[in-house]
Amino acid sequence: MEVHYRIRKPIALEVRFRIQGFTVLLGESGVGKTTLLKALAGLVPAEGRPYGGLPPERRPVGYLPQDLALFPHMTAWENVAFPLRGGNRKERALALLNRVGLLEHAHKRPNQLSGGQKQRVALARALARNPEILLLDEPTSALDPLTKDQVLGELVELIRREGIPTLAVSHDPILARMADWLVVMGSGTILQEGPPEEVYSAPSQLLVARLLGYENLFPACIEPGGVEVNRVHLRLSLPPWAQPGDTAWVGIRAEEVIVVRQDRPPPLENILEGVLVSLHPEGLAYRGVFQGSIRLQILLPRHVQARLNLHPGQRLQVVLKPHYLHLMPGQMD
Amino acid sequence: MDPSFWIALRLSLEVALLASFLLLLVGVPLAWLLAFRRFPGKSILEAIFLLPLVLPPTVLGFYVLLFLGPEGPWVRITGLSWAFRFEGLVFASVLFSLPFALTAYREAFLALDRNLLDVARTLGSPWWKVWSKVVFPLVWPGLLSGTLLAFAHTLGEFGVVLMVGGSIPGKTQMVSIYIYDLVQALRFEEAARASLVLLGLSLALLVLVRLLEAKGRAWKSTTA
Repeated sequence: MEVHYRIRKPIALEVRFRIQGFTVLLGESGVGKTTLLKALAGLVPAEGRPYGGLPPERRPVGYLPQDLALFPHMTAWENVAFPLRGGNRKERALALLNRVGLLEHAHKRPNQLSGGQKQRVALARALARNPEILLLDEPTSALDPLTKDQVLGELVELIRREGIPTLAVSHDPILARMADWLVVMGSGTILQEGPPEEVYSAPSQLLVARLLGYENLFPACIEPGGVEVNRVHLRLSLPPWAQPGDTAWVGIRAEEVIVVRQDRPPPLENILEGVLVSLHPEGLAYRGVFQGSIRLQILLPRHVQARLNLHPGQRLQVVLKPHYLHLMPGQMD
Repeated sequence: MDPSFWIALRLSLEVALLASFLLLLVGVPLAWLLAFRRFPGKSILEAIFLLPLVLPPTVLGFYVLLFLGPEGPWVRITGLSWAFRFEGLVFASVLFSLPFALTAYREAFLALDRNLLDVARTLGSPWWKVWSKVVFPLVWPGLLSGTLLAFAHTLGEFGVVLMVGGSIPGKTQMVSIYIYDLVQALRFEEAARASLVLLGLSLALLVLVRLLEAKGRAWKSTTA
């Protein structure tokens, strides 16, 4: 589904993008994600396709706001039955709750349900309208941080099974990794869209790279066969737009900076020598800072740290493989 | 108990009941407007509605008397003479208790999570269904507690009803004025008994108001 919307108030924005399967629209707070979602639901005045000009009650969308807005005075099944008309409302509502795996909680009030359960009741209520698309506002925000990944995974699985195109807006990169289609939004406009692996591996500009968690980003000068960063030549294959003499940005993810093993033959290129300034455990990995002619954030999987047994203050070599170095157009900021 | 006490109490209850009903009718739409709509002159309008809260009741009563009196605009426009009558008492009571009712109603509406209304609309509900199934079930404790507060307030008013109604026994002598007249006549024992009845009644009403407010809060805490 193609979306083309223009909004004037409360934020001016014009966007054009696709919704395809479970689509995640990623953007920082304040760029107008929620406003766009509300506009699609008909709750904010806007022009555009689809559904332009229809009042909210006539749009075939299932809208789940950030706080889910379950009716507090109704039980789970009464919430789900709210949009239903005609006979057997209770049976149909119970069948919907069964579809989201919550039949046993049908008679509970929203305040007796967990964040994930509320989310599924809200989903069942939205499904009761037979929507053409689902609109999810920050679906990770209502969830307990400890179980977030699992609950979210189940929700996305459920939505995929229902086969309804979905637009989820979020600033959480975790959600972006589960997407079938990823759209990155900047202030009032779309910066990039595509399959998530493509967007993740090849952000089109600095802003997108920052949003997607590229921690090592450097202004670079393009040279034949590579770039120069802080007077170090890094070899990489240049895209067609890159002309020697131009300035650009080069980025590498912290987890893709590789520490050279002394017991192996050294790689041939893009080796940096320096000192490990710090190293801290981060979940099951280790996060460190490498200071050579370039300062780099590094993230080591625990099996690597188990083998190398690195400690702060130690001298080491890292390699920036050309394949993992990503070049983006742009002036220095 | 003196039969004229019961007559005065009955009159007070009738005035308060009718005034509360009218307040509900006028105050609810007005409170919705003040809670959710923006329009020029809103602050001035709000100040005017709150005026009876700070104005001496005799001043308010004096203006109402001028408005309803034989030479006043009300008689000229409608031909109805409401001064020193039951209707005048109700009219003055509505004005006098409006700030209490309005403030309570507005609080009830402001406590409502607007997302609930938005979502109800995206679920295909016309406005009347949003009102009957979502708004009303969530705000009725607030509306009722505001109305009870206005009722209790009207029951105890003195200055305004004295100005507008005079103190005609059996016609416009409300129970608060009746007690005052007893004290003036040094009939302290009867005044004490009548006061006790009013005290009990007011206390019971306020307990009810508190219970309803707690119920309203219970809804509010579950929306989050």
